[in-house]
Amino acid sequence: MHFLPIEFIGAIRAEFPPRFLEEFISERSELEVFGRDATRDIAPNPSAVVFPRTTEEVSKLLRLCSAHNVSVVPSGGRTGLAGGAVAANGELVLSLEKMRAIGEVDVVARTVRVEAGAITEAVHRHCEKHGLTWPVDFASKGSSQVGGNIATNAGGVRVIRYGLTRQWVLGLQVVLANGDILELNGALEKNNTGPDLRQLFIGSEGVFGVITAATLKLAPVPPPASVFLLGLSSIDAVLSLFRELRRAPLTISAFEFFTDRCAARVSRHRRLEQPLSTPTPYYVLLELEAIEFSDVEPLLQSLFEKELIVDGTFAQHAAQAAALWSLRESISESLSATGRPHKNDIALPIAELESFCIKLEKLIETQYPGWELCLFGHIGDGNLHVNIMKPDALTEHEFCEHTARVDHAIFALVAEHGGSISAEHGIGLLKKDYLRYSRSPQELALFRAIKRVFDSKNILNPGKIIDL
Amino acid sequence: MKILVPIKRVADPDNANKLKISSDAKVDTTGLEWKPNPFDEYAVETALRLTENGANTKARVGEVVVVMFGPKEAESTLRAALATGADRAIRIDANDADLDGDVVAQGLKAIVDKEKPDLVLLGKQTVDSDSNQVAQLVAEYLGWPQATFAATIRSEGDKALHVGREVDGGTLHLKVTLPAVVSVDLRIVAPKSVRSAHTAEGHAYPDGVRFAALMAIMAAKKKPLVEEKLSDLVPGATRKIEYTSFALPPARAAGIKVKSVQELVQKLKAEAKVL
Ligand SMILES: Cc1cc2nc3c(=O)[nH]c(=O)nc-3n(C[C@H](O)[C@H](O)[C@H](O)COP(=O)(O)OP(=O)(O)OC[C@H]3O[C@@H](n4cnc5c(N)ncnc54)[C@H](O)[C@@H]3O)c2cc1C
Repeated sequence: MHFLPIEFIGAIRAEFPPRFLEEFISERSELEVFGRDATRDIAPNPSAVVFPRTTEEVSKLLRLCSAHNVSVVPSGGRTGLAGGAVAANGELVLSLEKMRAIGEVDVVARTVRVEAGAITEAVHRHCEKHGLTWPVDFASKGSSQVGGNIATNAGGVRVIRYGLTRQWVLGLQVVLANGDILELNGALEKNNTGPDLRQLFIGSEGVFGVITAATLKLAPVPPPASVFLLGLSSIDAVLSLFRELRRAPLTISAFEFFTDRCAARVSRHRRLEQPLSTPTPYYVLLELEAIEFSDVEPLLQSLFEKELIVDGTFAQHAAQAAALWSLRESISESLSATGRPHKNDIALPIAELESFCIKLEKLIETQYPGWELCLFGHIGDGNLHVNIMKPDALTEHEFCEHTARVDHAIFALVAEHGGSISAEHGIGLLKKDYLRYSRSPQELALFRAIKRVFDSKNILNPGKIIDL
Repeated sequence: MKILVPIKRVADPDNANKLKISSDAKVDTTGLEWKPNPFDEYAVETALRLTENGANTKARVGEVVVVMFGPKEAESTLRAALATGADRAIRIDANDADLDGDVVAQGLKAIVDKEKPDLVLLGKQTVDSDSNQVAQLVAEYLGWPQATFAATIRSEGDKALHVGREVDGGTLHLKVTLPAVVSVDLRIVAPKSVRSAHTAEGHAYPDGVRFAALMAIMAAKKKPLVEEKLSDLVPGATRKIEYTSFALPPARAAGIKVKSVQELVQKLKAEAKVL
C-alpha cells in the first residue's frame, strides 16, 4: 500500500472543492480495478484515484503533483493491451471518466468537439444521427475512451479503409506536467505553421501530457457493407487471396483473418456456431464497400477454381453480417475468458508477410512445441496478433520466463523483416524491454530528450515506453 | 415430402430508430433495410431439415418451394432462401398495401391447389404486424389439420408428423396426418428440434438458421423463380383489415438528478406517487 505525501493532500484540500477529496478512491479493491488496464501481467498498486471534472482541475492537479513529486497515471477506459494504464508503483491514477461531454456535431466541417473521457461508442452514436462517424472502431469501443484512443493512436478493424486514429484528430487540448494548458491546431484541416506539436501527443501513451479534449474529424457513415466469411487451407492462400482482391476494382473495408483455434475458443466461450460446413484451418472475414453480389461473382468463381478459397458464405442481410463480425470481434475476449494468452501484436510490410509467416511458423514449432498458438489479426494492414496460450502444466512464472525468451527470437525476426514489435497496442510496460528491436539508439535518445522537455520531473506515466 | 414455405420480408427491427411516420399516420418504409421475417427463416430451416439426411445437408429428399407475396425488388429474399437449399420459388406480384392475412391465405390456397404440397410450413407470425393469422386461415380454407407454434417436429415418412407445441407449463404432443399446415416458433431451430425420417436419431444441427454457402448463392441464380399475378389467384381480392393509423411510442421524459436520498424519497412520494 502506498500513501500520498500529507502536504500534497493538504494542498488539494486547500485548492479544490470538498467533492474532489470525497470522490478520492483509496479502497483497496477499487484501487485494483482503476490501477490496471486489460492486461493481467503486472499487479496494480496505485495510491489513490482522482476524478477531475474540468481541464482547469487537471491543470491545478498536475501543478500540485509536480510540486510534490507525485507520479500520475492518466487513465482512460482501461482497455489497453500494453499495460500503459497500469499503476504498479504507488502512482496517483488520474481518471478522465467524469470528463465525457460530447459537443454539437458540425455537419458542414464534419467535426465534433469532445472531452477526453467520452466513450468511443458514445461518440459513434452521437454522430450517427447526422450520418457521420468517427471511424475508429474495434471490439473494446464500448469501454475505451477518445483520450485513450488518441494516446494509443489506436488502430482496429477499419484501418485498411480509414487509417489510424491519427488521421481523425484535428485539434487537441493537452495539459502538461507543470499545469500548462495547450490548445493545439484548433479545428483546422490545414495549418502549415511549422512542426505540428499535436502529432507528438498522439500515440504518446500519456508520457508527454494529459489529453483533456479533442476536435475529431468525422467521415460519412458508409452504406451497409457486403460481408463475407471465407474458409482457406493455408496462410499462403490467405495472402494470395489478399493480393487478388487488392488488384480487383473493389474497396476493401476490412480484411481480417483468424485460425480455427481462435474460432474454437470463440464457440466455446460465446457459443457462436461456425457458419461454414467445411472445416478449414484459416478464415478470412472480408468486408467490401457495398457491391451487388453479381459484381464479384466472376472473381469468386475464379478464386474457387484456383482453390484459394475452400468454402465461404455471404451475409444476406444486416443481422447475418453482424453475426459474422461477432466471430471475429469476440476473439480477444474469448481467448482471455477461456485461458491465459500471451499476446504479441506485430506489423510487417505487406511484401514481407509471406516469408515472415513461414519463418514464424517454424520458430513457433521449435520454440513452443505442442503449445496452442492462436493467430489472428488485421492482416490487410500487415498486422498479426500472435497469441500463445499457457499450457495447464506450467506455472504463471514458468510461462512468463518461457515467453520472454521466445519474444526476443520473434522480435529479432520482426526486425529482420523491417517490421514493428507493436502494431497498434503500444509499448506501455509490457513491450518496453523490446523497443530496441524497432527503434534505433538515436531515436531512443531523442525520445528521452523530448520527455525531459515536457516533463522534467518525470511524473507523467513514469516507466512507460522507456526508462529515463 | 413436398413442402411449401411462404416467406415475407420485414423492415429490419434493428433499424427501428429509422422508422418514420408519414403525414397520414402510416409507416413510411423509404430508407429502411429489409430482412426475411425471422419466423419465416425458421420455417425455411425446418423445411430443409425435414427434407434431408442431417449428415448430408447438400442432397434434398423431397422438395421445398418458397412463396412470397411482394414487389419485384423483394425477390432477393427468395433468392436467399434458394441459396440456403430451397428448390424453387414463386413470387406473387403484389404491393404490401394490397395485402392482409386473409388475402395472403386465399392466395396460398390457390397456390396449394396447383402445387399439391404435403405440408405448408409457416412462421407463426411476422414481426412487423404480429398478426398471427395466416397459418390458421389457410388451414381453414384448405380444410387441412393444423398445428401451430411448433417447437419440435419429427417426421414419420410422408404420412404424418409428430409435433411438439410449447404451451404454458409444458409441451403438448400431437400427431398430424399429412397434408397439413404447421406454423413454427422460435425453438424449432434448436439443434435437435427437427428430425426427418432420413436423419439418424440423436443428430444435432448447429443452433439456428444455416448460412448459405457461396457456391450455393451462385447456383441459386439458376434455380426456377416464377411470377404469378395476385388477380389470377384471387380474383377481386380485397383487404378485410384496414389499419387506421400508426404511432411511435411516446418519447421518454428526460430524467432528473437528485441531490440526496431524502430528496429522492420525497419525489417518489410526491411526484411519482409510488411510495
Ligand atoms: C477486446 C479488445 C480489443 C481490442 N482491439 C483493439 C484493436 O483492434 N486495435 C487497437 O488499436 N487496440 C485494441 N485494443 C486495445 C485498446 O482498446 C486500445 O488501445 C484503446 O485505444 C485504449 O483506450 P482506453 O481509453 O481504454 O485507454 P487506457 O487503457 O485507459 O489507456 C491507454 C494508454 O493511454 C493513456 N491515456 C489514456 N487516457 C489518456 C488521456 N486522456 N491523456 C493521456 N494519456 C491517456 C494511458 O495512460 C495508457 O498509457 C483492444 C482491447 C481489447 C480489450
